[in-house]
Amino acid sequence: MGDETPHTGMSRRQFLKGSAATPLALMLAGGGVVSVYLRPADARGFTLRPPGAIAEKRFLAACVRCGKCAQACPYQSIRMAGGEAGVGIGTPVIIPREMPCYLCQDLPCVRACPSGALDKKLEDVEKVRMGTAVIIDRESCLSIRGLRCEVCYRQCPLIDKAITLEARHNIRTGEHSILEPVVHKEKCVGCGICEKSCVLPKPVIVVQGLVEIQKDSYDF
Amino acid sequence: MTSRWWLPRRAAQLSTVALIASPLFGLSLFRGNLAAADLLGIALADPLAFLQALIGGRVLVLSYLGSALLVTVCYFVLGGRSFCSWICPVGLITEMAGLRLGSGGKTMPLSASRWSLGLVLVTVALTGIPLFEVLSPIGIVSRAIAFASLLPLLVLAAILLVELSLSRRVWCRSLCPLGGFYSLLARFSPLRVGFIKERCTHCGDCLQVCPVQEVLAPPLEQGVPQVTGGDCSRCLACIDCCPAKALKIGFSNK
Repeated sequence: MGDETPHTGMSRRQFLKGSAATPLALMLAGGGVVSVYLRPADARGFTLRPPGAIAEKRFLAACVRCGKCAQACPYQSIRMAGGEAGVGIGTPVIIPREMPCYLCQDLPCVRACPSGALDKKLEDVEKVRMGTAVIIDRESCLSIRGLRCEVCYRQCPLIDKAITLEARHNIRTGEHSILEPVVHKEKCVGCGICEKSCVLPKPVIVVQGLVEIQKDSYDF
Repeated sequence: MTSRWWLPRRAAQLSTVALIASPLFGLSLFRGNLAAADLLGIALADPLAFLQALIGGRVLVLSYLGSALLVTVCYFVLGGRSFCSWICPVGLITEMAGLRLGSGGKTMPLSASRWSLGLVLVTVALTGIPLFEVLSPIGIVSRAIAFASLLPLLVLAAILLVELSLSRRVWCRSLCPLGGFYSLLARFSPLRVGFIKERCTHCGDCLQVCPVQEVLAPPLEQGVPQVTGGDCSRCLACIDCCPAKALKIGFSNK
């Protein structure tokens, strides 16, 4: 243990200094970058991906960030994420409020994807499940307040399937109807057209992840 | 000047940049970038990007495997690291910056790029994070050209800063995992720089221009007839500058 190593040939110290120190320093630096810079993209909420995207964790690895889906999108709905997306840098995202997915029948984005990050087995647009629309603020929704808005319902490409209007008596006025838009999760493809169309400055209907995230009492 | 290899090489580098930018001008001959692309209807794919998608995403698309193999075979024949000198836009940028602005004096060992490749493969296997697709300055530059995604160019700026102040061509020589991948492939490539010992005047011009002197020096000193190291990027600058025509490029099965 405490004995001095005789200096014959290359000592362990010389070896470490000469051959291994540089690569090890590099790997440490790399690890630092990984832990600080690369946060999982979905740690800060749900990211809307193009149609056919496989589960988010696998998608982040399977997507090679070539941008072909974005180049294939005729509406430029698909954007390439920047550095703010962390690990998701360079991956395709859809920001419905800017440009939702208009559900092309031939799904050019899916056909453009080389790596399988967008699942080529998906051919029927009604089977797309990018996310699901949720009315997050019922108190602000004009239709639920009794006005004849219903814009999200009329804009929905799956009108009367993914969003239906449910009529009920307006107790507040006593003589009118409330026509409430109701999202049916089993039909909704998550295209975001409703979110785009909502007439309020802050949309009350937004696309969220398919899996309900369990929240504790500290979450708002 | 006995030859002008730099001319087709620069043309190839600039064509790559032009192709990546071409969809912006409504042209349909090229789609994608160097990770995966369609060129005149032929699907091409970066083999390292394929490996990361396969390991991390556990997705195997046969057509994608085919395009990755096609690219691998092409680079195998041409000498793997020819990608670095002839195609890669980051190589073009750091090369031009080095020529115009000078560079730091230190050099880092070439073997580090293989460690870097190992780090990328281990990371994607353990965490599912495709480290090189995330941090790759090649992808960052390509998306800056095709999608005007400019902020991530800070990564490229950092690389240039280190190269200019500390270590010459350190990214391409020693850090790029894709370079490390292609250098492994290039060890077995048939197309190599050959050396005709009898003609050499030992002027040293070739070593001055070579970005990887470590692989050019041994043949010159020992009189070996060809450059065998996988890190030779087939830039052919040594052939261009040799006044005695002692260096040539050719296929060899030795």
